[in-house]
Amino acid sequence: MDSFSYYSQTVLNGILAGCIYALFAMGLTLIYGVLNFVNFAHGELIMWGAYFLFLFMGEPFGLPLYFAILPALLLTGCLGLAMEYSVFRPIRKANRLTLLIAAMGISVFLRNAAQFFWGAEVRTYGLEVMPGTRFIGLYLTMQQFAIIGVTILCVAGVYLLFFKSRLGKSMRALSDNLDLARISGIDTKRAILAAWVISAVLAGIGGILMALDTNLNPEMGVVNLIKAFAATLIGGVGNLWGALIGGLLIGLAENIGVLFISPGYKDGIAFVIMVLILLARPYVILGERSD
Amino acid sequence: MDLLLHLCIVVAIYTVFALSLNVEVGYTGLFNFGHVAFFAIGAYTSALLTLAGVPFAWAFVAALFLAGLCGFLLSIPALKLQGDYFGIATLGFGEILRMIFNNEVWLTKGPMGLPGIPRPEFFGIVFDTLPLYLALSAGFALATFAILSFIILSPFGRALKAVRDDETAAEILGKNAYAFKIKSFVIGSVFAGLAGVLWAHYATFISPGDFTLTETILVLLIVVMGGKGTLTGPVVGAVTLIFFQESVRFLRLPPEWTRLLGPLQQMIFGLLLVILMVFRPEGIVREKGGARVD
Amino acid sequence: MKKGGRALIEIRNLTKAFGGTRAVSDCSISLEGLTISGLIGPNGSGKTTLFNLITGLLKPDSGEIRFLGNRIDGRLPHDMAALGLIRTFQLSRVFPRMTVLENMLLAPQAQTGESILSLWFRLAKIKREEAENLERALETLDLLGLTRLKDQFAENLSYGQQKLLELGRALMAKPKMILLDEPTAGINPTLIRTMIDTILKMRGRGQVFFIIEHNMDVVIEVCEKVFVLDHGEKIAEGRPEEIQKDPRVIEAYLGL
Repeated sequence: MDSFSYYSQTVLNGILAGCIYALFAMGLTLIYGVLNFVNFAHGELIMWGAYFLFLFMGEPFGLPLYFAILPALLLTGCLGLAMEYSVFRPIRKANRLTLLIAAMGISVFLRNAAQFFWGAEVRTYGLEVMPGTRFIGLYLTMQQFAIIGVTILCVAGVYLLFFKSRLGKSMRALSDNLDLARISGIDTKRAILAAWVISAVLAGIGGILMALDTNLNPEMGVVNLIKAFAATLIGGVGNLWGALIGGLLIGLAENIGVLFISPGYKDGIAFVIMVLILLARPYVILGERSD
Repeated sequence: MDLLLHLCIVVAIYTVFALSLNVEVGYTGLFNFGHVAFFAIGAYTSALLTLAGVPFAWAFVAALFLAGLCGFLLSIPALKLQGDYFGIATLGFGEILRMIFNNEVWLTKGPMGLPGIPRPEFFGIVFDTLPLYLALSAGFALATFAILSFIILSPFGRALKAVRDDETAAEILGKNAYAFKIKSFVIGSVFAGLAGVLWAHYATFISPGDFTLTETILVLLIVVMGGKGTLTGPVVGAVTLIFFQESVRFLRLPPEWTRLLGPLQQMIFGLLLVILMVFRPEGIVREKGGARVD
Repeated sequence: MKKGGRALIEIRNLTKAFGGTRAVSDCSISLEGLTISGLIGPNGSGKTTLFNLITGLLKPDSGEIRFLGNRIDGRLPHDMAALGLIRTFQLSRVFPRMTVLENMLLAPQAQTGESILSLWFRLAKIKREEAENLERALETLDLLGLTRLKDQFAENLSYGQQKLLELGRALMAKPKMILLDEPTAGINPTLIRTMIDTILKMRGRGQVFFIIEHNMDVVIEVCEKVFVLDHGEKIAEGRPEEIQKDPRVIEAYLGL
């Protein structure tokens, strides 16, 4: 392989990874926008999304991939709703630390539940590698085509939902100001539930794509939470398109970065980017009200 | 008897660890989810130095210093983040540190870990039996309790609480919130480093696998369950949870169960955190001043 | 009360915009030789924004703020407190999980015991300071009628009591000037009386105040001079009784 296509392959891999991170980050930033807190259990939605698919493809269901995806995403959405109903709604008015520790508790519970049922080992869906194609001199597997296609579909879907529908309008109003939205007669309950479902399903899709392309294990949630977070930070917290761009940048930085440093540190690149962004920022005292 | 001594030593070490986290979480409102990193820095520094022949006393000082320094360097960027975002930044730091321990094989032997860490030696006494080690760790736990309580009850500690409760109002009253947070974080890191040193020389073997998020969760649960923002809460939490965790380890269970036991125990811990937050966020020990007057 | 010709606070051509709207617009105010000045205006006229600018919570777009002759605009809030400017908030901001007494003891400036190093080497001095502050805190709490609540968490106080505590806390800082943001809003008449009496008593001791207030009775009772803001602009200033008759002010309030 000549060096040009080597580098362009690297860029392509970066974009592929970035697409998945973008899906994670968009879900994370959506919940932050609407409910104003970071869902520490977001990584577990990613991981469980992938494992739900594993569940439906294995015994006793044995569904083929395309039929297993729908119930898997359905369950992931339900898992998001379950978090909201069982934990986050009852303590919505509590202070931040309480919310955060609860989210952390959910994350620990779900991560270990996955390990309890499926073990800590790395697994794959056991699919044969689907033959790929050459595309402008680059090699792409079918999975990778799927990643790009699905991401574009998701982004388009989120765009339509968020900016063209009534529900999206109420979600946006919510992220501007929860109390104001409530008194202006917006059905906040429905908008919050919708945000959970969308966030969870995006996480599930991302998790499945990632597992299809590589593998799945119970630890995949935590690692990707940090990356999703770094991506939202790049794009500006609560900003959907920012999260998309941020995800792509993280993916590119990781894949280009390993050309220069040991692959053992690949997962640390997002963290370093995060620190660099923060160093450049001034200290701001938040929580200001003005009349 | 040995089991009881072992339990008490582990309780003492986790008491130090939990007290250090309580300064940050309980008194300053910093959501540190990477606290294990400073425990690990303390453990690795002291282990590596003593293995290289440096006397324990010097290794001890170096370990605490390095833990504090790393805390300082991390807090400068990370504390520019508010609340939950700070939480993720610290979580990330914990993960990256483990990555370093795994990858820098020349220094840390990577995932193989460091065996044969010598027992500590202070003033000519080698703390190589369980009773002696208990005396050492209990002594350090008491000292930690005394020092941290003194700090918390001082005007400095009062300012930390103000920053925790309302950063803006604290600033308006002339408290430099950023600076207070950094100091709190460094203090927490130094004492986490101390707990790490005690752990390394007790276990005599450490590897990156000992310093995962699981440890942070355990110590967070200890603080939250015992009662964050109280002096005695972390002690109560450490006694309760460590007794639970370590006794499970000594149950005679069929081997096919033990594979499930780890995750199951973690599931319980996670569930406990959630249940506490929903039903009793203040934990076992309550802060003073809570009684309502009509 | 002349301070060598230097006004305690001198604001010149101050402007601050949020998005397209100017919250404070080319505003000039001089608090020279005044002990209690008032700031009034309809809702959303930029009063709190002006306070936020003075105390460093916001940075102005243009113009300047001088405190005893020195530029202070754009400096950090904790610097302002050190200089002698303390404020309270419209919605009281006491420290909820600290006792009433702790809230009070926190406020004195430049406490030796707040330095982590001094804690180990200057214990005697710290103890002395604490004892002095404690005495003063108990006196002030007595004045505010909060003595029996001193060991309660501040969150257990009623809203009005919290506002009194905030005033007490501000007094503990021994500032050169206290900015009060609607001290009597939303509290019952008995506590309003306590509030006013405390303010008047402190005026007697030379404490300088700058007060945002909606209640005109309070304004007339305590203020020597009043500044009126509307849409971020200063539309009038003068003695309270004069201001009440000013057609521009009446127009602003009635929204004509």
